[in-house]
Amino acid sequence: MRRRPGLVPLRAGLVAGVLALTLGLAACGGAEPGAVEPAGATGPSVAGEPAAAPTDEAAPPAAVGTPASSNRVTFVPDQVVLPGGDAAPVQPATTRDGELAVPENVQHVGWWDGSAEAGDPFGNTVMAGHVDSSTDGLGFFVRLLTLEKGETVTLRGPDGHHLAYTITSVRTIKKDALATGTAAFDQTGDPHLVLITCGGTYHRGEGGYDSNVVVTARPKGLAR
Amino acid sequence: MTTRALRRILVLVLMLGATLGLAGLTAAPSFAANNASLYVVQGLPGRSVDVTVDGRQVAKGVKTAAVVGPFKVKPGSRKITFSDGGTELLSRSFAVKARSSWDVVVHLPAGGSTDPTVTLFRNDTSTVPRGKAELVVAHTATVPAADVRVDGKVLFSNIANGQSLNLTVPVATYKVAITPTGKKSPVYLGPVSLTVKGGAVNRVYALGDPDKNTMNVAVHVLATGSSGSERPKKVDTGTGGEAAGAVRFLAKLTR
Repeated sequence: MRRRPGLVPLRAGLVAGVLALTLGLAACGGAEPGAVEPAGATGPSVAGEPAAAPTDEAAPPAAVGTPASSNRVTFVPDQVVLPGGDAAPVQPATTRDGELAVPENVQHVGWWDGSAEAGDPFGNTVMAGHVDSSTDGLGFFVRLLTLEKGETVTLRGPDGHHLAYTITSVRTIKKDALATGTAAFDQTGDPHLVLITCGGTYHRGEGGYDSNVVVTARPKGLAR
Repeated sequence: MTTRALRRILVLVLMLGATLGLAGLTAAPSFAANNASLYVVQGLPGRSVDVTVDGRQVAKGVKTAAVVGPFKVKPGSRKITFSDGGTELLSRSFAVKARSSWDVVVHLPAGGSTDPTVTLFRNDTSTVPRGKAELVVAHTATVPAADVRVDGKVLFSNIANGQSLNLTVPVATYKVAITPTGKKSPVYLGPVSLTVKGGAVNRVYALGDPDKNTMNVAVHVLATGSSGSERPKKVDTGTGGEAAGAVRFLAKLTR
């Protein structure tokens, strides 16, 4: 937390320098057991304080703060279970050059690593997967095309954590409108699960499908 | 002297300090690398507190709701003593692991006693998703178990003295109020405006005694850095065309 040298006035700079010297010397002087040093110029300095009386008198132990039992469970999903019980592994996926890089394996699904975890109080948990690929055929998320409002999607995570969602909408949206014209990637509103794949019309040689199929679902209560 | 010359001297002085500091580190490398960090949170209303760690004074005259530190200590068993105007208030012992970070909070217990107590809260300094903040609310006041309402919604419920709750929230300014568990009144504290800092752990301590009109908050912000990638502009998830037939068929069905 030391300020940048170029920005400090001379006097403050000298003080900081002298303080650095003092600390440096204190460190050179060797670190006797239990020595306490402030880090940086923000903490009050103890350099030069005489060593106090022996410190081995017993003191009662301090309490250690605990999480309240109502602490929310949140988790990075590692599996998505669709209606009917078909499940796919979920891997974190990053955005590269503006495009969400979903797993190469078309039977896997990517969780955007900048989106909410399952159970977070705000923001969408965003997942995307292949509908198909030219080399591997149909992808796991081709199943999104047959999902219906009211059906249940479940996310699972480490340590047995899970959260079920109710589908509230299945929409086909032009690809260029996904990021700008919808709240699919929103991270500030109420929490939703957003599942994305490709759909619409397939144009061979023109980048494939012209649309995204977007499934939105609402959590049924809190994550467990 | 020109500004440039002044700046050069300043840089030299700082470099000298840094060099000597490094020499010190080289002499005892394990010492600095393994240090634990302690922050002291002063949660006692109406007191000005002096803090001693293992017999050495680290802070003087710390006012209510102030946070001081970090104080670097060796891993192992440490002892902290709080006093006010030369009178010792209490001492507590605790053990810290290498490179751990702790908030040491001196505060009033629940139930109206005026005897201070000490609770340690471990700081989780792992990264926070970009554009978001880690918000940790801890109960270190005299009141019974409480709810924390954020923008009118109960986001933290039923926290007792000495407990905390954490959430990942978008960077924003929130209206925070503390009420008894399951009730809207009496309001113990607030609503107060709290602007959380992104890429950081924002620790909020409720402290004091509503009966004596001393409820207050101490806020400790610890930078952690951000993780996670930017918001996508595009999702391309089909290159085969095999699903095109299914897509057309389904589009007809749902028309």
